[in-house]
Amino acid sequence: MARKRTHEIRDPIHVFIRLDSDERKVLDSPPFQRLRHIHQLALTYLVYPGATHKRFEHSLGVMELASRIYDVVTEPENIYQESESVRNMIPKHREFEHLKWRRTLRLAALCHDLGHLPFSHASEALLPQDWDHERMTMEIILGEEMAGIWKEIDVQPEHVAKLAIGPQKSKDYMSSDLDEWESILSEIITGDVFGADRMDYLLRDSYNAGVAYGKFDHHRLIDTMRILPKQGTDDSQETDISEEPHLGVEEGGLESAEALLLARYFMFSQIYFHPVRLIYDEHLSDFLKSWLEGGMFPTDCRGHLKHTDNEVISAMLSIAKDQSHPAHLHADRIIHRRHFRSIYRSTAEDRKLSGFKSGRKIYEAACGIFGEENVKHIERTQTRRINDFPVLVQRARITGALSEKETFSGVPLASCGHVFISSEMRDRAGNWLRKNRETILSSVEGG
Amino acid sequence: MERLERAAVLLSLVEKLKDGDSWCGETHVQKSTYFLQDLWGVPLDLDFILYKYGPFSFDLGDEISWMRANDVLKLQPQRRPYGPKIVPAENAELLKRTYPKQMERYADEVQKVADEFAFMGVATLERYATAHYVSRNYEEVGEGGVAAKIVELKPHISHVQAEEAVAFVAQLRSTLKGA
Repeated sequence: MARKRTHEIRDPIHVFIRLDSDERKVLDSPPFQRLRHIHQLALTYLVYPGATHKRFEHSLGVMELASRIYDVVTEPENIYQESESVRNMIPKHREFEHLKWRRTLRLAALCHDLGHLPFSHASEALLPQDWDHERMTMEIILGEEMAGIWKEIDVQPEHVAKLAIGPQKSKDYMSSDLDEWESILSEIITGDVFGADRMDYLLRDSYNAGVAYGKFDHHRLIDTMRILPKQGTDDSQETDISEEPHLGVEEGGLESAEALLLARYFMFSQIYFHPVRLIYDEHLSDFLKSWLEGGMFPTDCRGHLKHTDNEVISAMLSIAKDQSHPAHLHADRIIHRRHFRSIYRSTAEDRKLSGFKSGRKIYEAACGIFGEENVKHIERTQTRRINDFPVLVQRARITGALSEKETFSGVPLASCGHVFISSEMRDRAGNWLRKNRETILSSVEGG
Repeated sequence: MERLERAAVLLSLVEKLKDGDSWCGETHVQKSTYFLQDLWGVPLDLDFILYKYGPFSFDLGDEISWMRANDVLKLQPQRRPYGPKIVPAENAELLKRTYPKQMERYADEVQKVADEFAFMGVATLERYATAHYVSRNYEEVGEGGVAAKIVELKPHISHVQAEEAVAFVAQLRSTLKGA
């Protein structure tokens, strides 16, 4: 009997994810299997119990979506023929280059999160300066753990690494700028508007957390995606327009793109910036600093691959029972839910009153009263670039998303600022803040 | 440079670009900021890479996000087919009052960048900024190879346009050196 060449994996978001035997070799490799033990949303499951999903299934989902996008935008009848730069950029359908890049894109999507530390972003600060999970991803893709596989399946690891870590990190770590085609491919994976990474995490996080905010019609959106020159927008001089190709949509996909943008805003407001989730990240980071040798994660690939959430959770459970251990207090706060409590959430009015420093002022004043070890200050702002992507109207004219729909410039950016206090001091700190809040916020400092 | 200080300098750049009749879309702000940092030496600590429309800073994108989230800047929609302008918002005055010294310190540089680039359109800014970036980051191609490298990296730019851009930035650099 012939060996099976295509393998199917059941997935709650995409139903079936299919991969071939070569891709399966990457899937079965120890660096990829490790992702079965890295929570996608760190300790968010302590707030939303369903959010226990892992980087493993997310990476499969990104591969699936990235190749769906690639197939749509390179389909001959979807290529925008009016633009020479678009026509020249896309490889001939089903010929060697086209298939080569499709495979490279899928593998880059599959591998884009290999460098994540235990509990994903929550531990990122515990790498030495100039290191982050993208750099670890690059090191693993280019390292000896994967070298044999790339050779066996005849794929260039440098291409996989470049697309997996995106243009910014590629410049930082590989001293390499992406050309126009590579920029488009990288945008398919990591792009700010239509990236497969973004689409998958919104859908998957929403599904697992049990909230509906992250849903949008990704089928429709992907079906309408096109590579288009960006024209007639962003400029008063219509003759001075750039022909550089971008990922865009046909006008029929605009509502789905709007829904994605709103989904992201709601997910940040409700899930990613949930104050209890934020403070658990801090407690986890404190625990790891105290538990890890030298207070840092190693950066060599072997050392990196040894660490997963499982070892950390096991250590936390054990140390939570051991009062003599230096990390006991931090483990106890997580395991027994004695996390710090928010006593202050900054508001627009407060920011005005304090010259944008409301959280910082309350934090510093609280440290003076309750001690630095009992107070924490966290501020976050959703990053969403302006992204005026091109829109193909009536299959003939190109405009920009921002001029087609005011929603694209009108959706607010999620942001938050909290001051937290040790749970044992919550009542005392609350009373103190009620009495002193106005005075602290309006205090003057040098600018 | 601290975040609020950098925000104050960026705000002053947006204001000067507007005064100079710039459309002041994202590309205008990105490329003008690139020149402000890289040619006029204002230490904004922003990383630029070669990306969409030439040099692009994800850090600057994040900075503009923060300024929008804090009502320092906002997007002002325009009639079709034009994209929005980036304009000062409700809290712009507050930021200016908080950081007057920082704004004053770099006022000359900001004004010169606005004088030089405010009137330019997107494609011209893309070519000039790319020419400067390539000549700075691809020294191995030599002076004579910069235009060809631009075309290799950005095939939608013609060789004639690339050569004109290289000449423009060379002239600009030499003027600044002599100043």
